[in-house]
Amino acid sequence: MRITNNMLINNMLANLNTNLTRMNKYQNQLATGKKITLPSDDPIVASRALKLRTDVAEIDQYLRNVDDATSWMEITESTLAQIGDVMQRLREITVQGSTGTTTPDDLDKIKKEAEQLKIQMTHLANTTYAGRYIFSGYKTDKPLMDESGTFLIDIANSEQIMYEIGIGDDININVTGSDLFNSGTDAAAGSTSSLIGVIDALIAALGSGDHNAVGNMLSQIDVEMNNILRVRSGVGARMNRLELTANRLEEDYINFTKLMSKNEDVDIAEAIMYLQNEEYVYRASLSAGARVIQPSLIDFLR
Amino acid sequence: MNNTTFIGLDIATRGLYAAQRGLTNVNHNIDNINTPGYSRQVLQQQAARPMMAADGSGMLGMGTDVTGIMRVRDEYLDTKYRSEVQYLGEWDVKHTLLEEMQTMYNEPSKSGFNTVLNQFYDTLQQLATDPSSHSTRAAVKEKAIAVTKYFNSVATHFEYLQNDVNNIIYAKVNEINSLADQIAKLNQQIYNYEVTGNVANDLRDQRGYLVDKLSQLVNVQAYETVTGKLPNGHDDIRFSVVISGKALVDHIHVTHIVTQQRAEKKNAEDIENLYELSWEDGNQITIRSGELKGYLDVRDGNDGLNGSPDFRGIPYYQRRMNEFVRVLARTFNEGVIDIDGDGVLDKVNGHVDGYTLNSQAGDPAAGIRFFTMFDEYGNPMSSTAFASGAGTPPSPLIPGTDEFKAYYDAMYSQITAKNFSISSEIDENPSNNIATSDSPAQVGNIENLRSIMAMRHNAYMFMEGSPEDYIKTIISTMGVDGQQAKAHLDNQSIMTRQINNRRQSISGVSIDEEMGNLVRYQHAYNAAAKMIQTYAELLDILVNRLGI
Repeated sequence: MRITNNMLINNMLANLNTNLTRMNKYQNQLATGKKITLPSDDPIVASRALKLRTDVAEIDQYLRNVDDATSWMEITESTLAQIGDVMQRLREITVQGSTGTTTPDDLDKIKKEAEQLKIQMTHLANTTYAGRYIFSGYKTDKPLMDESGTFLIDIANSEQIMYEIGIGDDININVTGSDLFNSGTDAAAGSTSSLIGVIDALIAALGSGDHNAVGNMLSQIDVEMNNILRVRSGVGARMNRLELTANRLEEDYINFTKLMSKNEDVDIAEAIMYLQNEEYVYRASLSAGARVIQPSLIDFLR
Repeated sequence: MNNTTFIGLDIATRGLYAAQRGLTNVNHNIDNINTPGYSRQVLQQQAARPMMAADGSGMLGMGTDVTGIMRVRDEYLDTKYRSEVQYLGEWDVKHTLLEEMQTMYNEPSKSGFNTVLNQFYDTLQQLATDPSSHSTRAAVKEKAIAVTKYFNSVATHFEYLQNDVNNIIYAKVNEINSLADQIAKLNQQIYNYEVTGNVANDLRDQRGYLVDKLSQLVNVQAYETVTGKLPNGHDDIRFSVVISGKALVDHIHVTHIVTQQRAEKKNAEDIENLYELSWEDGNQITIRSGELKGYLDVRDGNDGLNGSPDFRGIPYYQRRMNEFVRVLARTFNEGVIDIDGDGVLDKVNGHVDGYTLNSQAGDPAAGIRFFTMFDEYGNPMSSTAFASGAGTPPSPLIPGTDEFKAYYDAMYSQITAKNFSISSEIDENPSNNIATSDSPAQVGNIENLRSIMAMRHNAYMFMEGSPEDYIKTIISTMGVDGQQAKAHLDNQSIMTRQINNRRQSISGVSIDEEMGNLVRYQHAYNAAAKMIQTYAELLDILVNRLGI
């Protein structure tokens, strides 16, 4: 084949351009830290990158939801513990009040304590988390009951606040006032909570000075205490589930972030090696080009 | 004539002339080594007609004759080059424009579609954990605006691009017409020059070069035909350049391509007044390849829909984005979605079915649409104004029926990616108007929001699946097309380079070779001069020394 000077130059330029394109690719990779800059560089990596980004963003948000849910339920649980303590104290003073040896004076003192405990109970029923009433169902802007134990709002067990903690995975984070304070039955505004009703009855019994009547309250108090225990164990179980979910989400987060990085991030060592290699090739083709192009017969005609 | 005295001088002079012509030729070749389209020329030399010796002793050589100067060129490679370079032009354009389109989507990145949509749904999730928070509600509004702005901006960029490409098409058509005019002029000159039987080497090179340039722009075939005999006995040769069967240049006549603004849009997504190409005489023109085809495909390509080019160009991506925002808005606003994948639209709770934050017991559902569009003044439209665009709803409105679908199609086909917006209600009062609750007067109720958010993962929302799947499909389609364009471009550039190399190998000027010729002709010249000197000495003896 006849080789002409322009062929040499054209080929050299074309090859240098190819070398530079490859060098540019690795330089870009190193500068951005990403394998691709445009989807067309590798459509599969690109579409996986999109999917993984969504996954990571979602998991991140679910983790935040779990955190929120946990805080809400921690408040709920500590409030439930306090309610349990109040009931326990009520039970103790009831036992005290039911003994025949208690003097009417003592009974009066016990009655006063019971009244204080009732008010404390109504305050606990209006506990808030970040300004929201935790036992008010959907009406988080309204307190559940007044100090006399009368419901201020309609409250139904169905008013369950659900948090999304996974795709299609919801968890109920609240305890409705009806479930806790009304023996699990829905209540209308204006009606009196069954739990407070029991305390009221106890106060009345204490006020009457009838030891037997006070003693008879024990069984009703036990019923309410059992109800509170039932709710508490439910909350405990849900907290447990939240914790498990949080662990799983954290692992997922790490795994997906790792996957995302593996999918789209450049292996720096590898890219540097390739870049170095390309640099050598480029230098070699430059020096080869310089040798090939320079001399012609002109240089030897004297 | 016998052995005349001066015949030697004659022969030597011819040698001098031939060597001189040779040197001129070397000079010409070297000068044009970098002239595009130039093919090297060679001297055609043959022994001059010999003279019969009178004494019957044979033929007497009479030196040399230069019979012509021919260019060295392989016409086959020209044809081959032109048939390949047109695809190089086409894919070069498509590759460049597809890269530009990919950068408009800005994916994968930290600011692309994926990010804005993820952030929007993230704030919705935050709202779900704290539905009465005014700051979260404001954040939902801002993130929703980010989503709508993303589509507005991408759609606007696509429109700009379509406009740019349209202008380039206009310029390219002018370039084609101008090349055609130049070729016709050269045809005239070559014809005039060659009528006498000469070969117009350099003019032919120029013409070949123009046809090469033309081939990159549009699919052309160029050929010479013998149309008859001239009075002087030579062939009457005419040169034509043909696009898809119709002559752009026929000898010295040019049929121009004209651009006319379309009265009607070809694709619903197009901008106004795109140029339609036709022949000057009103006939339709078919463009099969070349840069022009690349630009036309990118400008008009709607994946073969309604007779558009079978290429995924600007209208295709505009259409896909319109479809996306329409379905997203319809699902989000109305809860009208094919929830179970049975092919008909169902109805679940959407934003219109929700109750606002300040709703009072006994209030009806707020009926607020979250997403609408910009009105003609560029302000977000209210829910009712938007709905009224679809006329009166059929009564009763039963999910699953054709009327149901037609009504919502009519309503949401008003939205495009460019005019996509949040509604005026959300814009003005997000604190109240984001309807999270499914009952009035329940600030902590997020059931409506949950119904809306659940649709994000509905696999039947789009034919391609959930919203992310849909966009992923668009991006990867574009990626694959871009990759394919790059592969085609690489192939074509290797092919054309190969052919060009072969052309260079045959027609290119080699300095070594020319230097060799230089030495050759110089020596021939020197030798011929020496002959003259020798004859001069002979004549000196004859004239001056044999004297009386």
